[in-house]
Amino acid sequence: MISFDVQLDRQEFSLDISGEFDNGITAVFGPSGAGKSTLLDCLAGTIRPTSGMVSLAGTTLFSSAEGTWVKPENRRIGTVYQDGALFPHLDVRKNIEFGWKFLQTADRRLNPLEIAEFLGLSHLLERRPSELSGGERQRVAIARALATSPALLLLDEPLASLDAARRGSILNYLKRVHSEFEMPMIYVSHSISEVVSVASKAVLLREGKVEGFDRPSALLLGAAAAGGDVDRFTNILDGVIGDSTDHLTTVMVGGVKISTRHQNKNLGEKVVVSLGANQIILAASEPQNLSARNILTGVVSEIWSNDDRVFTEVDVGQKFIVELTENALSELGIAVGHDVFLVFKSSSVDVFDA
Amino acid sequence: MNSDISIVALSLQIALVATAVTLPLGMFVAWLLVRKQFRGKFALDVFVSLPLALPPVVIGYALLWLVGTNGWVGQVSESLFGSTLAFTWIAAALAAAIVSLPLVVRSFSAALAGVDPRLEIAARGLGAGPVRTFLTITLPLAYRGVVAGALLGFVRALSEFGATIVVAGNIPGRTQTVPSAIFTRISAGDTDAAWRLALVSIVLGVIALGIHNWLLKRSSVSSNSSNGVTR
Repeated sequence: MISFDVQLDRQEFSLDISGEFDNGITAVFGPSGAGKSTLLDCLAGTIRPTSGMVSLAGTTLFSSAEGTWVKPENRRIGTVYQDGALFPHLDVRKNIEFGWKFLQTADRRLNPLEIAEFLGLSHLLERRPSELSGGERQRVAIARALATSPALLLLDEPLASLDAARRGSILNYLKRVHSEFEMPMIYVSHSISEVVSVASKAVLLREGKVEGFDRPSALLLGAAAAGGDVDRFTNILDGVIGDSTDHLTTVMVGGVKISTRHQNKNLGEKVVVSLGANQIILAASEPQNLSARNILTGVVSEIWSNDDRVFTEVDVGQKFIVELTENALSELGIAVGHDVFLVFKSSSVDVFDA
Repeated sequence: MNSDISIVALSLQIALVATAVTLPLGMFVAWLLVRKQFRGKFALDVFVSLPLALPPVVIGYALLWLVGTNGWVGQVSESLFGSTLAFTWIAAALAAAIVSLPLVVRSFSAALAGVDPRLEIAARGLGAGPVRTFLTITLPLAYRGVVAGALLGFVRALSEFGATIVVAGNIPGRTQTVPSAIFTRISAGDTDAAWRLALVSIVLGVIALGIHNWLLKRSSVSSNSSNGVTR
């Protein structure tokens, strides 16, 4: 667990943030310039806050009152940067082993080669960073940070330089790393879609201050107000390839069967599914004679609305976020607990490698 | 011919010692200028670069005052060794070091500036202290520029004349370097002997600058290939 209360006064920018994060994946998100990366720098020790405190798992890392300051190299906090920040003169193996080498033998809880295996990097160990794809680089960066057996992993926009297909894959790796290594993570992003997909809790920052701390989906409207990329909210879900016909492939997402365009993939293959919140039609009664291949039955579990937009969360065995207008919401008379139908075309669903 | 060899040897010795001084000092100053924010940074930059703008004779004169009986360096060395450094090969090495320092600092600054500071931050976060980070990340990434800068400083030290002749004189066998020997020979009208040493200077200069340019070309090629974001 990490708790902090940091203030930073700079000419161009000031920050005043406090919080207490558990051992899950906590997201920090907000628009550019909200102070997300600066907060991470304060936690990692790259920036010394003007005042306040930072404490990780009971150890004080910074306290202006007590004059405590632990240097970044002694904090046991791993960081994964936006473009990986891999060492260009070292091969993948040496990159991953870089921090691990500095550990006392007793502190080497994780084996670098096993981590590499887990992240699918075993065949790349001899390569230089310049010979890797964007997704591979991020996996090496994650492996490099993990190998130091950190008490906390910070991820600073780790997907920002990747395309959509790679994003789902890395998100998936992060979730697996979290459960496999019981690694607490703080995940910084300006994308609410990623945050909802990966985190159990989220902090919304705006202009150096906390605007909200809640379940990620509960921050959707706040994100819209803060100017996040909520306009394009996308449900990002894990799935497994099911049956295929010539034109359609089914993907099992949670307990739900989704029809997608034909995928060139094998039965049982793990995938990541993405579906825009504005691509889903909400119906109060069962629709008939539709061309759309997906009609799912579910229960409305949450509704967040303000004057311009409404997000509902519908549980069909798997939670989907659906965006609709205030007008549609009142006309349909939908409320929490109501049975509804989700309708979307198979072509609205994107399927990526996990 | 024999005296030619000993003159070249003494010149090399002086230039090597000068380089041994400018290498760590230049690295430290370049690191301060590139990576640190502090009061007086501008003044330090101007002070270190000053030898580029001054006549070398002025530097020699200032140095002579510093190492002479009235300067504090002179007084310290007099109480320790019973003599000042003036008109010794060590004074010649000092003069060469001061004159070549700006070139070394400039080259090293460019080399350090080419290393992404985020890599250093990443190394710190992975458990490497500042010294280890410098040795395992910064230096290996900057080494071509560093070697090129040291080489440039070395040839500048080798060709130093104005400051050297003021502070160390032109004493055959003790402080007479290649440039001061050429000067003596020209003054005496011994043109063949002057040309011999001039030729040695030219050859050394061409070799050193050739390696210098080759290193810098290599370093720009390697940094380009490592900075590609996504392929």
